[in-house]
Amino acid sequence: MMNRTIAPETSTITHIDFQSPEIDTLGNKVNIYSMLETTDETVRVDFIFDAGSLKTSKIIAQLTGELLFSGSADKSSDEIEDRIDGLGGFTGIEVSTEKSTISAIGLKEHIVAITQTVVDAIINVNFNPKEINQLLQSKKKKMAISLEKVSTQARRAFLSDLFSNSPYGDLTQLEDYDKINQKDLIEFHKDKYLKGLQYISVVGSLNEEELNSIKALGNQFSKDEVTKIDYDYSYTPNNIHLKKEQALQTAIRVGRVLFNKQHEDFIKFSVVNTILGGYFGSRLMTSIREDKGYTYGIGSGVAQLKETGYFFISTEVGKEFKDLTLEAIKEEITLLQTEEVSETELSLVKNYIIGQILEQSDGAQAMMDRFISVETYGLDFSYYDKFIKEVNEITPKEVKELANLYLNWEDFTVVSAG
Amino acid sequence: MVEFERFVLDNGLRVIFHKDVTTPMAVVNTLYDVGARDESPERTGFAHLFEHLMFGGSINIPNFDGPLQEAGGSNNAFTSNDITNYYDVVPVQNLETALWLESDRMLSLAFTEKSLEVQRSVVIEEFKQRYLNQPYGDLWLELRPLAYQVHPYRWATIGKNIEHIQEATMEEVKDFFNTHYHPGNAILCIAGNLELDEVKRLVEKWYGDIPSKEKKVRNLPQEPKQTEFRTKTIERDVPSDVYTYGFKMAGKGQEGYYEADLISDVLGRGKSSRLYKRLKKELELVTDINAYVMGSTDTGMLMISCHPSDGVTLEQIDTEIWKLIDEMQSTLVEEAELEKIINKVKTTKAFSEQGVLNKSIALAQSELMGDANLINTETESYEKVTVEGIQKHAEEILQKTNCTQLIIKAKKNDE
Repeated sequence: MMNRTIAPETSTITHIDFQSPEIDTLGNKVNIYSMLETTDETVRVDFIFDAGSLKTSKIIAQLTGELLFSGSADKSSDEIEDRIDGLGGFTGIEVSTEKSTISAIGLKEHIVAITQTVVDAIINVNFNPKEINQLLQSKKKKMAISLEKVSTQARRAFLSDLFSNSPYGDLTQLEDYDKINQKDLIEFHKDKYLKGLQYISVVGSLNEEELNSIKALGNQFSKDEVTKIDYDYSYTPNNIHLKKEQALQTAIRVGRVLFNKQHEDFIKFSVVNTILGGYFGSRLMTSIREDKGYTYGIGSGVAQLKETGYFFISTEVGKEFKDLTLEAIKEEITLLQTEEVSETELSLVKNYIIGQILEQSDGAQAMMDRFISVETYGLDFSYYDKFIKEVNEITPKEVKELANLYLNWEDFTVVSAG
Repeated sequence: MVEFERFVLDNGLRVIFHKDVTTPMAVVNTLYDVGARDESPERTGFAHLFEHLMFGGSINIPNFDGPLQEAGGSNNAFTSNDITNYYDVVPVQNLETALWLESDRMLSLAFTEKSLEVQRSVVIEEFKQRYLNQPYGDLWLELRPLAYQVHPYRWATIGKNIEHIQEATMEEVKDFFNTHYHPGNAILCIAGNLELDEVKRLVEKWYGDIPSKEKKVRNLPQEPKQTEFRTKTIERDVPSDVYTYGFKMAGKGQEGYYEADLISDVLGRGKSSRLYKRLKKELELVTDINAYVMGSTDTGMLMISCHPSDGVTLEQIDTEIWKLIDEMQSTLVEEAELEKIINKVKTTKAFSEQGVLNKSIALAQSELMGDANLINTETESYEKVTVEGIQKHAEEILQKTNCTQLIIKAKKNDE
């Protein structure tokens, strides 16, 4: 009979092969990154514009992005959607604070035609007032629904408090939807779409001719200098409670302004974060979900912005567990600051983190995402070699030191809603 | 084309192996042929609660997650009304760790009181977070018992109510395990850059000695044909109204399923669909509208759901939806429209098969439906659908007497 109590041998990953995309620069100085070695018929083309919500009043950026397929002088929105759907295509519109990403998605045989339709729509959009109004009605309704959720309430209060001195904290309000001027959309589109293309990424097995067609489409835009951002990230830690009588759960957000991957402590702090709340076996999950049963889930992370980042802990707990949860979070942080993590736990976390990097680099699209996530910060793939090395080298002593440096309760803004 | 090999162990465990040379990861996907439909009406939510308990330690290994994370892997699981599915993703060189862990919990769980007690609370918090503390979160808790009167689809996977979870006992947990968790009731799918012989050797090593049990014959009360229009209005503390229509249709794999799926696409998938163009763009009666199918194994539903614009009445929306339905029944869909829908199905299919994990889950589900190769023939089944077939099934399904309507009204707050 086999002894099932003994674990099979495992081996540690020491190196990951990263494959860089082809990089080419178009006549308009826009870079195009392409990963053409794929194993199926799927293709995704992303156009990244300097059209994030920081670059104007928030709502204008969001609406401009979402209206890109709303019709031009010679094509209605229905005609554009019909054409893209007819080719089995999908589009993606994602407007974040710093940029907007417009995607053309489909099978190889139709991707050039889909992308053509997408680019044509973006260039010729005329912001028809009827379309603007329909979008406003639908967005207003969606936002009203979202604002009912305690998780949304807590997240918004947390961000607007933490970034009260920069536009990152200036969030869209429901009444903003009543003050829209078509002129602002037209202006923003001209500046940030027609002249704001930053780069293009292509993942899919295109041949040279097809890739050239995509390049020609990209060449129809121009690339102005990116609007510089230079904000004040200072903040004062606060305690905020938003009351919602009928809520069954309380949403909690705890955190502080921190840094992004350009900071020398970022990699090693990621290990500290993982131990605390960054994976299913983390200390917060073990204590607050698996031991006490206060919540369905709790986690922590470091969100990265262009020039900085922030650390956050996030959960929704039964109403009666709010104070107990905050106490338990405090306890776990104090423990990290006063006792060295065991070699067993640290080794588990190291292996887990490196396994995750391997999984997140699986496939051409994933590899492109990894590339973009370093390129955006002016880094290259050598960052991941450094990442693996630093993760493997971190000691229990360093974990404790970093917890003392960056995880002090008095630096945290604490928000609860419920 | 997703290639695969199939073998069966003496204890009845069905194994699918998919070789994928492009990935450094391996997947171990375990599908158990048990879902919320197999629960007793007095103990609903049990299959899902049980999924949580599967992470509370097995007979020989006190902790499931730790060793897997130590091996650089991660895992998760989901429960539906039809199945319970567990998956592990590990660097391929550490495949054996996942097999060791998964096989031990198929052999037996630790069944600790502590684990049961804590997971009961966790699931109750999940109930609150996902169903009770979200706007419209209880929509399916209300719609299911209205649409299904006999079949166990009348309750949601989370359960009918919190009490059912609170009252679950250790005895019931053990019974549930013994009935549903054994090699003959599972499909194991292994995928990665591996060789068949090696996979066979490892599966035999870890699963070969798990005793076989008799597979319980499923004998569920099937939902009789609906013969009357059902409608219910509820008031909730939400910002705006939501109207939902559910039409009974074939289960996945049954005659008429593919037609019904395409009918839902014609009606309400995306911005070029008929409902979207007519009710939202042209008439501005709704701020959002869509249609889809549930995709369940037994009698399912084709759903239409919309957010009415301010000031629009239910009657206005009803009139237009039924008018549009009438058009689908009286006039053939044009070939070009059908081709458009099929093109979207093909694109969706190609993207859904990206990545070794998605393929593994789809292979296991296809095998449960009778043949893992269904993953490769599904597109063909959609392509075989004709415009006449669409019309015929639209006539059958989109009848008022086959419709269940749930109206969620926003409570008027006196401010």
